[in-house]
Amino acid sequence: MNWYKNKGNEGDIVLSTRVRLARNLTEYPFPIRLDEAQRRDIGNTVKEILDTDKTLKLNFIDMSSLSSAETVSLAEKHLISPEFACDTLGRSLLLSDDEDISIMICEEDHIRIQTVYPGLSLEEAFETALKIDEILENKLSYAFDENLGYLTQCPTNIGTALRASVMLHLPALNKKGAMQRLSTTVAKLGLTLRGSYGEGSEVSGDIYQLSNQVTLGISEEAAIKNLNSIAMQIIAQEKQARALLIKDEDYLDRIYRAYGILKSAYKLTSKELINLISYVRVGVSEGILDIPAEKLRELTVLLQPATLNAHSGKILTQTERDILRSQKVREELA
Amino acid sequence: MLCQNCKANEANTHIKRVINGEATQKHLCSSCAQSLGYDNFFSDFTFNLPSLFSSFFDDRNLLLGETRADRCEICGCSFEDIIKSGNVGCSNCYKKFYSKLQPSIQRIHGKVKHSGKVPPKTAEPVVIKEKTAEEKIEDLQKEMAKAIETQNFERAAAIRDEIKQLKGEN
Repeated sequence: MNWYKNKGNEGDIVLSTRVRLARNLTEYPFPIRLDEAQRRDIGNTVKEILDTDKTLKLNFIDMSSLSSAETVSLAEKHLISPEFACDTLGRSLLLSDDEDISIMICEEDHIRIQTVYPGLSLEEAFETALKIDEILENKLSYAFDENLGYLTQCPTNIGTALRASVMLHLPALNKKGAMQRLSTTVAKLGLTLRGSYGEGSEVSGDIYQLSNQVTLGISEEAAIKNLNSIAMQIIAQEKQARALLIKDEDYLDRIYRAYGILKSAYKLTSKELINLISYVRVGVSEGILDIPAEKLRELTVLLQPATLNAHSGKILTQTERDILRSQKVREELA
Repeated sequence: MLCQNCKANEANTHIKRVINGEATQKHLCSSCAQSLGYDNFFSDFTFNLPSLFSSFFDDRNLLLGETRADRCEICGCSFEDIIKSGNVGCSNCYKKFYSKLQPSIQRIHGKVKHSGKVPPKTAEPVVIKEKTAEEKIEDLQKEMAKAIETQNFERAAAIRDEIKQLKGEN
């Protein structure tokens, strides 16, 4: 199920759930020490194994065959990491039609199995990732140690090598000034809260990513359960804060103004769009505005700069993009 | 107090972190704090993990006295390469540099023993066993002799203390 075209559980607050398993092969050094031919070999091996499973139907993409707009667009949709988009030589991607499964070959690790689901769906996303892992593990010899678990290029990922994350829209908690306290609290529980594009990314549109930090000494199931229960608590707090927030008439005014700008602007930058949609999303979840939540999500995802370029098949100037973006928003909200 | 990272400037940024209930403290000068990503509103959440991992190596002494023999036989990676890049070269490096990596792994994860899924088969499993205290002492004595040979007395003294500590514990 495509994450930005469906609402999912708690879809007013949780935009997506992602689960990532990192795996490495014993017979190769880690990716920083691989040449182009070795990277290709690994991609082909994984492809051959997964092709034997008729239910998966993954598209094999040689990353160097894509235009730079197409590559960055995949990162904008969170299907690959920004780092993976920067160096495409010898790297490949296995992607399902629904974009719910994406397997990066030779990113930071040889194999990174990623599943993305709409809304809060940790168990389902984990199960799907596990299914792929099970197909691969029967044919490959994984780098594994009984004490250190799955071995990864960066020691921060060893153990289960599982990173599960939920993308949360938390405008009310942010407005309340609760985010710093919240990130300190989750850190004590072995989780991190940061910008939506992961490591090093800034927070925009009140979108945060909550993920597990510790991977050694905690089982996959326990990590998923822990993350799920903390996410549920944050969701409950955000709901409470939103209910109070819309009693504030100034905030209510901002929601309506944001909606007004979206419906009538001639030009919209992507940052402006994300910030305006942040208000509108609160209006929707609180029953003030009647727009499907998934429509807002789709707009923020598909109207990002590189994705717009990739769709139009040419490199647009920023002004051209801003005009096209506002035009699409007006059409969708009409 | 001097900055733990550059050991040149006065430390004016003090960071406490708690992972799995274990507290660690870092004392840095403002420029190191900035370059390690601690200056941000979200403190340790926004900077990238490889540099975080490098920052976990407080003991730069681990690097002194390193020779060519201290490279991984499989990928040729040295411990210094690991510290600099924050990346391990290959699965054998975990075995090769286990004792040097172990304290940082403990600081990052709070634990050193995997719990969770195990793959059904590993054709050539990498077996990493922790060395016994006797083996560690033996290694250190060899290293100390080497350090004395190369007139690296500071390092030799550090190793002597380490041996003392190991003997004291047993």
